Amino acid sequence: MAIDKNMKILIVDDFSTMRRIIKNLLRDLGFTNTDEADDGNTALPMLQTGKFDFLVTDWNMPGMQGIDLLKNVRADEKLASMPVLMVTAEQKREQIVEAAQAGVNGYIVKPFTAQTLKEKLDKIFERMDG
Amino acid sequence: MDNAVMDSDINLLSEDSIAKVRNLLACMESGDLEKTQDQFEELVEVRENEMYQEIGKLTRELHESINTFAQDESLLNIAEDEFPDARQRLAHVITMTDEAANNTLSAVEDSMPLCDNVISSTKEVESEWKRFSNRELTVNEFKTLSGNLQNYFTNNIENASKVNGLLTNVLMAQGFQDLTSQIIKRVISLVEEVEISMVDIIKLASSKTNETDNKKIDDPAALDGPVVPGLEASGTVSGQDEVDDLLSSLGF
Repeated sequence: MAIDKNMKILIVDDFSTMRRIIKNLLRDLGFTNTDEADDGNTALPMLQTGKFDFLVTDWNMPGMQGIDLLKNVRADEKLASMPVLMVTAEQKREQIVEAAQAGVNGYIVKPFTAQTLKEKLDKIFERMDG
Repeated sequence: MDNAVMDSDINLLSEDSIAKVRNLLACMESGDLEKTQDQFEELVEVRENEMYQEIGKLTRELHESINTFAQDESLLNIAEDEFPDARQRLAHVITMTDEAANNTLSAVEDSMPLCDNVISSTKEVESEWKRFSNRELTVNEFKTLSGNLQNYFTNNIENASKVNGLLTNVLMAQGFQDLTSQIIKRVISLVEEVEISMVDIIKLASSKTNETDNKKIDDPAALDGPVVPGLEASGTVSGQDEVDDLLSSLGF
Protein backbone atom coordinates (compact mmCIF):
# COMPACT_ATOMS: atom_id res chain seq x y z
CA MET A 1 0.00 0.00 0.00
CA ALA A 2 1.39 3.36 -0.97
CA ILE A 3 1.68 6.07 1.64
CA ASP A 4 -1.10 8.59 1.34
CA LYS A 5 0.78 11.87 1.05
CA ASN A 6 -2.47 13.74 1.52
CA MET A 7 -2.91 12.46 5.05
CA LYS A 8 -3.55 15.28 7.51
CA ILE A 9 -0.81 15.65 10.09
CA LEU A 10 -1.03 17.64 13.33
CA ILE A 11 2.25 19.10 14.60
CA VAL A 12 2.25 19.95 18.33
CA ASP A 13 5.12 21.92 19.87
CA ASP A 14 5.19 25.00 22.10
CA PHE A 15 7.97 26.55 20.00
CA SER A 16 6.77 27.96 16.71
CA THR A 17 10.27 27.62 15.24
CA MET A 18 10.22 23.87 15.85
CA ARG A 19 6.73 23.58 14.40
CA ARG A 20 7.92 25.38 11.26
CA ILE A 21 10.97 23.12 11.00
CA ILE A 22 8.86 19.97 11.22
CA LYS A 23 6.23 21.39 8.87
CA ASN A 24 8.86 22.21 6.24
CA LEU A 25 10.58 18.86 6.61
CA LEU A 26 7.25 17.10 6.16
CA ARG A 27 6.52 19.23 3.11
CA ASP A 28 9.91 18.27 1.71
CA LEU A 29 8.90 14.63 2.17
CA GLY A 30 5.67 15.30 0.28
CA PHE A 31 3.29 15.75 3.20
CA THR A 32 1.72 19.15 2.60
CA ASN A 33 -1.50 18.70 4.54
CA THR A 34 -0.42 19.81 8.01
CA ASP A 35 -1.78 21.86 10.87
CA GLU A 36 -0.25 23.10 14.13
CA ALA A 37 -1.05 23.36 17.84
CA ASP A 38 1.07 24.72 20.68
CA ASP A 39 0.17 22.24 23.43
CA GLY A 40 -1.98 19.24 24.25
CA ASN A 41 -4.96 21.31 25.39
CA THR A 42 -5.19 22.94 21.98
CA ALA A 43 -4.32 19.77 20.10
CA LEU A 44 -6.81 17.35 21.65
CA PRO A 45 -10.00 19.13 20.52
CA MET A 46 -8.46 19.51 17.04
CA LEU A 47 -7.76 15.77 16.92
CA GLN A 48 -11.26 15.00 18.19
CA THR A 49 -12.75 16.65 15.13
CA GLY A 50 -11.59 13.49 13.37
CA LYS A 51 -9.82 15.39 10.61
CA PHE A 52 -6.32 14.14 11.40
CA ASP A 53 -4.52 10.95 10.40
CA PHE A 54 -1.16 11.42 12.11
CA LEU A 55 0.20 13.18 15.19
CA VAL A 56 3.71 14.58 15.70
CA THR A 57 4.16 15.94 19.22
CA ASP A 58 6.74 17.42 21.57
CA TRP A 59 6.80 16.24 25.20
CA ASN A 60 7.59 19.26 27.39
CA MET A 61 4.93 21.89 26.83
CA PRO A 62 3.00 24.21 29.10
CA GLY A 63 -0.63 23.21 29.55
CA MET A 64 -1.07 19.59 28.55
CA GLN A 65 2.21 17.82 27.93
CA GLY A 66 2.88 15.50 25.02
CA ILE A 67 2.80 12.33 27.10
CA ASP A 68 -0.66 13.24 28.42
CA LEU A 69 -1.83 14.08 24.92
CA LEU A 70 -0.62 10.63 23.82
CA LYS A 71 -2.48 8.96 26.72
CA ASN A 72 -5.64 10.93 25.88
CA VAL A 73 -5.39 9.90 22.25
CA ARG A 74 -4.98 6.23 23.17
CA ALA A 75 -7.90 6.47 25.60
CA ASP A 76 -10.21 7.96 22.97
CA GLU A 77 -12.00 5.25 21.05
CA LYS A 78 -12.00 7.21 17.80
CA LEU A 79 -8.36 8.27 18.02
CA ALA A 80 -6.83 5.20 19.66
CA SER A 81 -5.27 3.81 16.48
CA MET A 82 -3.76 7.10 15.29
CA PRO A 83 0.01 6.88 14.77
CA VAL A 84 1.89 9.18 17.14
CA LEU A 85 5.50 10.29 16.65
CA MET A 86 7.16 12.01 19.57
CA VAL A 87 9.88 14.59 18.82
CA THR A 88 11.40 15.81 22.06
CA ALA A 89 14.52 16.90 23.92
CA GLU A 90 13.70 14.50 26.77
CA GLN A 91 16.18 11.69 26.71
CA LYS A 92 15.80 9.97 30.05
CA ARG A 93 15.50 6.23 29.64
CA GLU A 94 12.51 6.04 31.95
CA GLN A 95 10.72 8.68 29.88
CA ILE A 96 11.34 6.82 26.64
CA VAL A 97 10.02 3.67 28.32
CA GLU A 98 6.99 5.61 29.60
CA ALA A 99 6.24 6.88 26.10
CA ALA A 100 6.61 3.36 24.70
CA GLN A 101 4.24 2.00 27.33
CA ALA A 102 1.76 4.75 26.58
CA GLY A 103 1.74 3.52 22.99
CA VAL A 104 3.97 5.90 21.06
CA ASN A 105 4.80 4.76 17.50
CA GLY A 106 8.14 6.55 17.18
CA TYR A 107 10.47 8.58 19.38
CA ILE A 108 12.94 11.16 18.03
CA VAL A 109 15.30 13.11 20.29
CA LYS A 110 16.17 16.71 19.48
CA PRO A 111 18.34 17.83 17.89
CA PHE A 112 17.47 15.52 15.03
CA THR A 113 18.16 15.33 11.30
CA ALA A 114 15.86 15.40 8.32
CA GLN A 115 17.03 11.85 7.60
CA THR A 116 15.97 10.64 11.07
CA LEU A 117 12.49 12.07 10.61
CA LYS A 118 12.17 10.35 7.25
CA GLU A 119 13.38 7.01 8.63
CA LYS A 120 10.98 7.07 11.57
CA LEU A 121 8.03 8.02 9.38
CA ASP A 122 8.88 5.26 6.91
CA LYS A 123 9.12 2.77 9.74
CA ILE A 124 5.76 3.79 11.17
CA PHE A 125 4.09 3.48 7.76
CA GLU A 126 5.75 0.12 7.17
CA ARG A 127 4.27 -1.21 10.41
CA MET A 128 0.87 0.23 9.62
CA ASP A 129 0.90 -1.75 6.40
CA GLY A 130 2.10 -4.92 8.06
CA MET B 1 15.45 48.58 66.68
CA ASP B 2 12.05 50.14 67.47
CA ASN B 3 11.73 47.80 70.40
CA ALA B 4 15.16 48.79 71.67
CA VAL B 5 14.25 52.48 71.69
CA MET B 6 11.02 51.68 73.46
CA ASP B 7 12.71 49.54 76.15
CA SER B 8 15.23 52.20 77.05
CA ASP B 9 12.52 54.88 76.97
CA ILE B 10 10.52 52.92 79.52
CA ASN B 11 13.64 52.61 81.66
CA LEU B 12 14.28 56.28 81.35
CA LEU B 13 10.78 56.96 82.71
CA SER B 14 11.15 54.50 85.62
CA GLU B 15 10.79 55.65 89.22
CA ASP B 16 14.48 55.08 89.63
CA SER B 17 15.33 57.44 86.77
CA ILE B 18 12.93 60.09 88.00
CA ALA B 19 14.52 59.93 91.47
CA LYS B 20 17.94 60.30 89.86
CA VAL B 21 16.83 63.38 87.93
CA ARG B 22 15.38 64.86 91.13
CA ASN B 23 18.69 64.25 92.92
CA LEU B 24 20.55 65.83 90.01
CA LEU B 25 18.31 68.89 90.12
CA ALA B 26 18.74 69.21 93.90
CA CYS B 27 22.53 69.03 93.56
CA MET B 28 22.51 71.66 90.82
CA GLU B 29 20.33 73.97 92.87
CA SER B 30 22.54 73.57 95.92
CA GLY B 31 25.53 74.53 93.72
CA ASP B 32 27.53 71.38 94.53
CA LEU B 33 29.50 70.81 91.32
CA GLU B 34 31.09 67.53 92.36
CA LYS B 35 27.82 65.91 93.39
CA THR B 36 26.11 67.27 90.27
CA GLN B 37 28.71 65.51 88.10
CA ASP B 38 28.26 62.22 89.98
CA GLN B 39 24.49 62.35 89.64
CA PHE B 40 24.76 63.24 85.94
CA GLU B 41 27.03 60.31 85.24
CA GLU B 42 24.73 57.93 87.10
CA LEU B 43 21.88 59.08 84.89
CA VAL B 44 23.89 58.65 81.68
CA GLU B 45 24.88 55.15 82.78
CA VAL B 46 21.25 54.00 82.60
CA ARG B 47 21.21 54.91 78.93
CA GLU B 48 24.62 53.41 78.21
CA ASN B 49 23.70 50.06 79.76
CA GLU B 50 20.70 49.90 77.47
CA MET B 51 22.90 50.61 74.48
CA TYR B 52 25.39 47.83 75.33
CA GLN B 53 22.55 45.40 75.77
CA GLU B 54 21.15 46.33 72.36
CA ILE B 55 24.56 45.97 70.71
CA GLY B 56 24.85 42.56 72.34
CA LYS B 57 21.46 41.52 70.99
CA LEU B 58 22.26 42.72 67.49
CA THR B 59 25.60 40.92 67.52
CA ARG B 60 23.91 37.69 68.53
CA GLU B 61 21.28 38.06 65.80
CA LEU B 62 23.91 38.76 63.19
CA HIS B 63 25.80 35.69 64.31
CA GLU B 64 22.64 33.59 64.05
CA SER B 65 21.83 34.98 60.62
CA ILE B 66 25.28 34.10 59.37
CA ASN B 67 24.93 30.61 60.81
CA THR B 68 21.55 30.15 59.16
CA PHE B 69 23.03 31.29 55.88
CA ALA B 70 25.90 28.84 56.20
CA GLN B 71 23.59 25.98 57.15
CA ASP B 72 21.01 26.59 54.46
CA GLU B 73 21.63 23.57 52.25
CA SER B 74 19.67 24.86 49.31
CA LEU B 75 21.97 27.86 49.11
CA LEU B 76 25.00 25.65 49.50
CA ASN B 77 23.65 23.47 46.76
CA ILE B 78 23.10 26.50 44.52
CA ALA B 79 26.61 27.79 45.12
CA GLU B 80 28.37 24.44 44.78
CA ASP B 81 26.42 22.72 42.04
CA GLU B 82 23.79 24.79 40.38
CA PHE B 83 25.87 27.84 39.53
CA PRO B 84 28.63 25.87 37.81
CA ASP B 85 25.86 23.83 36.20
CA ALA B 86 24.15 27.02 34.97
CA ARG B 87 27.46 28.31 33.64
CA GLN B 88 27.91 25.15 31.65
CA ARG B 89 24.34 25.34 30.37
CA LEU B 90 24.83 28.89 29.19
CA ALA B 91 28.15 27.98 27.59
CA HIS B 92 26.29 25.21 25.75
CA VAL B 93 23.77 27.79 24.52
CA ILE B 94 26.67 29.75 23.03
CA THR B 95 27.97 26.60 21.34
CA MET B 96 24.54 25.80 19.91
CA THR B 97 23.89 29.32 18.61
CA ASP B 98 27.39 29.38 17.19
CA GLU B 99 26.81 26.09 15.37
CA ALA B 100 23.43 27.25 14.08
CA ALA B 101 24.88 30.52 12.77
CA ASN B 102 27.81 28.76 11.12
CA ASN B 103 25.67 26.02 9.56
CA THR B 104 23.33 28.69 8.19
CA LEU B 105 26.17 30.82 6.85
CA SER B 106 27.85 27.82 5.22
CA ALA B 107 24.61 26.83 3.53
CA VAL B 108 24.12 30.37 2.24
CA GLU B 109 27.73 30.57 1.02
CA ASP B 110 27.40 27.23 -0.76
CA SER B 111 24.01 28.13 -2.28
CA MET B 112 25.04 31.45 -3.81
CA PRO B 113 27.49 30.08 -6.44
CA LEU B 114 24.91 27.44 -7.40
CA CYS B 115 22.33 30.17 -8.03
CA ASP B 116 24.93 32.24 -9.92
CA ASN B 117 25.64 29.20 -12.05
CA VAL B 118 21.94 28.81 -12.87
CA ILE B 119 21.72 32.48 -13.87
CA SER B 120 24.81 32.47 -16.10
CA SER B 121 24.00 29.17 -17.84
CA THR B 122 20.41 30.31 -18.41
CA LYS B 123 21.65 33.53 -20.00
CA GLU B 124 23.86 31.54 -22.40
CA VAL B 125 21.07 29.22 -23.44
CA GLU B 126 18.64 32.13 -23.68
CA SER B 127 20.72 34.02 -26.27
CA GLU B 128 21.10 30.87 -28.38
CA TRP B 129 17.38 30.19 -27.99
CA LYS B 130 16.56 33.68 -29.28
CA ARG B 131 18.65 33.07 -32.37
CA PHE B 132 16.81 29.77 -32.85
CA SER B 133 13.41 31.54 -32.51
CA ASN B 134 14.53 34.06 -35.09
CA ARG B 135 15.51 31.17 -37.37
CA GLU B 136 19.12 32.33 -37.38
CA LEU B 137 20.66 28.95 -36.49
CA THR B 138 22.26 26.59 -38.95
CA VAL B 139 21.53 22.88 -38.60
CA ASN B 140 24.91 22.31 -36.96
CA GLU B 141 24.40 25.21 -34.57
CA PHE B 142 20.99 23.77 -33.67
CA LYS B 143 22.62 20.42 -32.90
CA THR B 144 25.05 22.19 -30.59
CA LEU B 145 22.20 24.08 -28.90
CA SER B 146 20.28 20.85 -28.45
CA GLY B 147 23.28 19.27 -26.72
CA ASN B 148 23.79 22.40 -24.61
CA LEU B 149 20.14 22.34 -23.57
CA GLN B 150 20.46 18.73 -22.41
CA ASN B 151 23.48 19.70 -20.24
CA TYR B 152 21.60 22.76 -19.06
CA PHE B 153 18.63 20.69 -17.86
CA THR B 154 20.82 18.14 -16.09
CA ASN B 155 22.88 20.88 -14.54
CA ASN B 156 19.86 22.79 -13.29
CA ILE B 157 18.25 19.76 -11.71
CA GLU B 158 21.54 19.06 -9.97
CA ASN B 159 21.95 22.66 -8.80
CA ALA B 160 18.38 22.96 -7.57
CA SER B 161 18.64 19.68 -5.62
CA LYS B 162 21.86 20.92 -4.04
CA VAL B 163 20.22 24.23 -3.07
CA ASN B 164 17.25 22.30 -1.71
CA GLY B 165 19.57 20.22 0.47
CA LEU B 166 21.37 23.35 1.69
CA LEU B 167 18.04 25.00 2.51
CA THR B 168 17.14 21.95 4.57
CA ASN B 169 20.41 22.53 6.48
CA VAL B 170 19.29 26.11 7.15
CA LEU B 171 15.91 24.81 8.29
CA MET B 172 17.42 22.27 10.67
CA ALA B 173 19.86 24.81 12.07
CA GLN B 174 16.90 26.77 13.48
CA GLY B 175 16.24 23.98 15.97
CA PHE B 176 18.65 25.76 18.30
CA GLN B 177 15.90 28.23 19.23
CA ASP B 178 13.72 25.60 20.89
CA LEU B 179 16.61 23.83 22.64
CA THR B 180 18.46 26.92 23.87
CA SER B 181 15.20 28.41 25.16
CA GLN B 182 14.58 25.31 27.24
CA ILE B 183 18.09 25.59 28.71
CA ILE B 184 17.81 29.33 29.37
CA LYS B 185 14.43 28.88 31.08
CA ARG B 186 16.09 26.54 33.59
CA VAL B 187 18.79 29.10 34.32
CA ILE B 188 16.14 31.81 34.77
CA SER B 189 14.36 29.68 37.37
CA LEU B 190 17.69 29.22 39.18
CA VAL B 191 18.22 32.98 39.22
CA GLU B 192 14.72 33.39 40.67
CA GLU B 193 15.53 30.86 43.37
CA VAL B 194 18.68 32.76 44.30
CA GLU B 195 16.75 36.02 44.29
CA ILE B 196 14.20 34.64 46.76
CA SER B 197 16.96 33.27 49.00
CA MET B 198 18.73 36.61 48.99
CA VAL B 199 15.54 38.42 49.92
CA ASP B 200 15.06 35.91 52.76
CA ILE B 201 18.55 36.59 54.06
CA ILE B 202 18.05 40.35 53.90
CA LYS B 203 14.77 39.98 55.77
CA LEU B 204 16.43 37.76 58.37
CA ALA B 205 19.30 40.17 58.91
CA SER B 206 17.17 43.27 59.04
CA SER B 207 14.37 42.08 61.25
CA LYS B 208 14.22 39.72 64.20
CA THR B 209 10.46 39.36 64.30
CA ASN B 210 9.44 39.02 60.66
CA GLU B 211 8.96 35.37 59.84
CA THR B 212 10.40 34.57 56.47
CA ASP B 213 8.29 32.34 54.34
CA ASN B 214 10.50 30.01 52.43
CA LYS B 215 8.94 30.12 49.02
CA LYS B 216 10.43 27.56 46.68
CA ILE B 217 10.30 27.86 42.96
CA ASP B 218 8.21 25.09 41.49
CA ASP B 219 10.40 22.32 40.28
CA PRO B 220 9.72 22.44 36.51
CA ALA B 221 8.23 18.94 36.65
CA ALA B 222 10.56 16.04 36.28
CA LEU B 223 11.42 16.97 32.72
CA ASP B 224 15.07 17.78 32.21
CA GLY B 225 15.05 19.12 28.68
CA PRO B 226 18.08 18.89 26.43
CA VAL B 227 21.10 17.06 27.75
CA VAL B 228 24.04 19.45 28.07
CA PRO B 229 27.43 17.95 27.19
CA GLY B 230 29.73 17.73 30.20
CA LEU B 231 26.88 17.86 32.71
CA GLU B 232 26.09 14.68 34.50
CA ALA B 233 22.75 13.37 33.35
CA SER B 234 22.09 9.98 34.82
CA GLY B 235 19.68 7.63 33.12
CA THR B 236 19.66 9.46 29.82
CA VAL B 237 20.39 8.18 26.36
CA SER B 238 23.14 9.83 24.38
CA GLY B 239 21.40 10.10 21.05
CA GLN B 240 18.91 8.76 18.55
CA ASP B 241 20.78 5.45 18.17
CA GLU B 242 20.36 4.68 21.85
CA VAL B 243 16.71 5.65 21.72
CA ASP B 244 16.27 3.19 18.86
CA ASP B 245 18.16 0.47 20.75
CA LEU B 246 16.08 1.03 23.87
CA LEU B 247 12.82 0.96 21.92
CA SER B 248 13.80 -2.14 19.98
CA SER B 249 14.66 -3.85 23.28
CA LEU B 250 11.07 -3.07 24.25
CA GLY B 251 9.83 -4.81 21.12
CA PHE B 252 9.52 -1.76 18.88
